[in-house]
Amino acid sequence: MLHVELTIQGLINGSMYALMAVGLTLVYGLLRILHVAHAGLYTLGAYIAVLIANATGSLALGAAVAIPVVGLAGMIVYRLLYEPILHRPPYVALIASIGLFIVMEESYRLIFGPYGETFNAPYLAERVSVGPIGAKAAEVAMVAGAIVLLGVLAFLSKRTRFGIAWRATVTDPAMARAFGVDTIAVRYANFFIASALAASAAVLVAVLNNLVEPTMGSVPSYKTLAIIVLGGLGNVAGTLVAALALGVIEAFGTIYIGHLLDRDAIAFLFLVLVLMIRPQGLFAAR
Amino acid sequence: MINRRTSLQIALAGVSLAALGVPALAQTGPIKIGFHAPLTGFAAADGKSAQLGAELAVAQANAAGGIGGRKIELDIIDDQGKPEQGVPVANRFISEKYPVVVSGSYSGPTRAAAPVFHGAGVPYISSYAIHPDITRSGNYVFRTSFMGEVQGRAGAKLVGELLGKKNVAVITVNNDFGQALASGFKEAAPKFGVSIIKEYFFGMPDRQFGPLVASVKADNPEAIYASGYFFNAGPLVAQLRGAGITVPIIGQEGYDGQKFIEIAGKAAEGVIITTSLDRDSKAPEAVAFISEFEKANPGVKVDMVAASTHTATRVALEALKKVGIADRAKIREAIAATNLEASTGRISFNKLGEVKKSVQNQIVKDGRWRHHSVIDDPVLLAPPES
Repeated sequence: MLHVELTIQGLINGSMYALMAVGLTLVYGLLRILHVAHAGLYTLGAYIAVLIANATGSLALGAAVAIPVVGLAGMIVYRLLYEPILHRPPYVALIASIGLFIVMEESYRLIFGPYGETFNAPYLAERVSVGPIGAKAAEVAMVAGAIVLLGVLAFLSKRTRFGIAWRATVTDPAMARAFGVDTIAVRYANFFIASALAASAAVLVAVLNNLVEPTMGSVPSYKTLAIIVLGGLGNVAGTLVAALALGVIEAFGTIYIGHLLDRDAIAFLFLVLVLMIRPQGLFAAR
Repeated sequence: MINRRTSLQIALAGVSLAALGVPALAQTGPIKIGFHAPLTGFAAADGKSAQLGAELAVAQANAAGGIGGRKIELDIIDDQGKPEQGVPVANRFISEKYPVVVSGSYSGPTRAAAPVFHGAGVPYISSYAIHPDITRSGNYVFRTSFMGEVQGRAGAKLVGELLGKKNVAVITVNNDFGQALASGFKEAAPKFGVSIIKEYFFGMPDRQFGPLVASVKADNPEAIYASGYFFNAGPLVAQLRGAGITVPIIGQEGYDGQKFIEIAGKAAEGVIITTSLDRDSKAPEAVAFISEFEKANPGVKVDMVAASTHTATRVALEALKKVGIADRAKIREAIAATNLEASTGRISFNKLGEVKKSVQNQIVKDGRWRHHSVIDDPVLLAPPES
C-alpha cells in the first residue's frame, strides 16, 4: 500500500517536472539554447497568480492572467536576450540565461520582499480519496493539468498546420523556410508555449505549497536540465518519460535511501547512471 | 625644491587639519559596529528579520543617549548565507577596526568568520547560528542562541515528559541545523522514555513531502518531531495534516515566525515549538521588544531571528557602554561577564561563550504563536564547556 502511495506521489511530482521540462526541451530542440531563465519565468507566473488571486479572490483569474502574460514574457526574453546572440557559441546564451535568472530571482526579492507570498485562502486543500488511496485536490489538479496541457500540445504538434510548420523548423530550418514556413514566428510561438507551460506548473505548485518565494525556481532550474538530458535533448516524449521516472525514483529514494542521499543527490545519481549506460539519454533525439 | 608657496600650503593644510581635528572627529562621530546577515539569496527572509532586530537594538540605544553621548551605527554587509563569504566579511570588518561585530547569519558564514575574528582579537557574537564549532573558534566568540543539541534535548523533554508521547517519528532537515537538533533529541530521548520509530531526511529546498508524508502515515507514530525552517515546515505541516495525520507535531525555532502560520493555515493550529521568544512574556524587555518592533516595522510580525539578533546586538552594546570602545580585550571581558535581561530572557555565558537561558515553548492558537510552557532545566540545557 505504501508503495502504491509512493508511486502516486512520484507521478504527482513528475507531472510538475514534466510541465517545466517539456518547455525547456522545446527551446533546446529549436535553438540549442539551455534556457535556465525558464525557471525565472516560472516564478513570475506564480507571483502573478498569487497577487491577482489575493486581490480579486479568484484563483482562476490569477491563472488566466499569469499563463498568457508569462508566455509573452518568454517571447520578450527571446527577442531581447537570445536573438541578438544566436550566432555566438551556445555557452554565451547559457551564461546570459543564468545571468538573467539571477537578476529575476533578486528582482522578485526586491519587489515582493524575501518572506514569500501565500494565498489569503488556501485553494484545493481538501483531500480526495478513492478507497484507501488519497491525495490533496491540488495534487490531483497537478496531474490532471499536466495530462490536459501536454495532450493539447501533442494535438497541436501532430494535427495542425502550425504543428507541422513547427516540427519542420526543428528538423531543418533552412528547408522549412524554403517551403514558406515563417521560422521566426515559430520561434516566438515556441517561447510562448514553453513559458505558458512553466507558468501553469508554477500556479499549481503555488497552490500545492501555499507559498510563492523568490527562490522557488532554483531547484527546477537545474533539475529540469537533468531531465531534458535524460530524455535525450530536444525529445519531447523522452522528456515526459524522464520527468515521470525521476519523480517516482525520488519518491522511493527519499524513503529508502534518504538517510544516505538527499533528493537532489538521488536525482543526479540516477542521471549519472543512465548516462554511463546511454550517453545519448534514455531516448536519443531523432 | 620646496618654495615658499608650497610650504605655506603645507602649513595651511596642517592648520586646517588640526582645526578639523581628526582625533576629535573620531570622538564625536558615530561609533560603528559590524553586522553581517544574508540579505540576498536563499536565506534573505531570515536576513531581513535579523537586520530589523539589530537595527531596533541600535535605535533603542541611540534613543537612550548612545554610548558616551555618541550615536551608534551599524555597518551592514550581505553575506548571502554563503560560507565562502565569511572570511572576506571578517577581514573587511577587522580592517575597519570595529570594536565588536555581530553575526545575524547562518552557521555557514558565521563558522568561517569566527576563527578570523578570534585571531584578530575582535569580539564576535553569533545571534542564531547553531553550529558547535562557532564558539570553539576561541574565547573572542560568543553565541546568544541555543546550540542545536541543547534545543534538541529540550524537544525530547517536551515530547516525552510534557506531552507524554513515546513513539515518535523524527523528520530532519539535512544540514548542520537539523542534524544538531536530531542528535540532541536522540541523545535525550531515552531519559524521557521516547523511542524513535523512524527517522526521515529532507533537503532545505524541499517544499513537497508527499512520499515522506505517506510513509509517516504508515508508521502511525504518537507524535512527530520535525526540524526545518518556516518555508519547509509550513508546507510539511499542511501536507501531514492534509493526509489525515492528527498526532502532535513538535518543531523548533526554525518554524518561529508568522509566515509559518500563513503558509500552513489551519493545519498550523496546535503545533508546538521550542524557541527563544515568548510572545506572552510578562518580562518588560520582551514586551517592549515586541511592541517596538511591530511599531517600527508595520506589517512585519516579530520572530525568533529578530529577537535573537536584537539580543546579540544588545549584548554587544551593553559591553561597549560598560568599558568603552578603546580596548577590545576589555570589551571581550565585559561580554563574557554579561548578565542581561533581554527580549529572549536572562542572558549569561558559560566558559565557552555559550548562552545559558531557558527554552520557551510556543503553541499556535487562533493563528498566533502563544505561550505553551517553559523548560528551565540547567542540567538538561547545559551547553558544553569546551
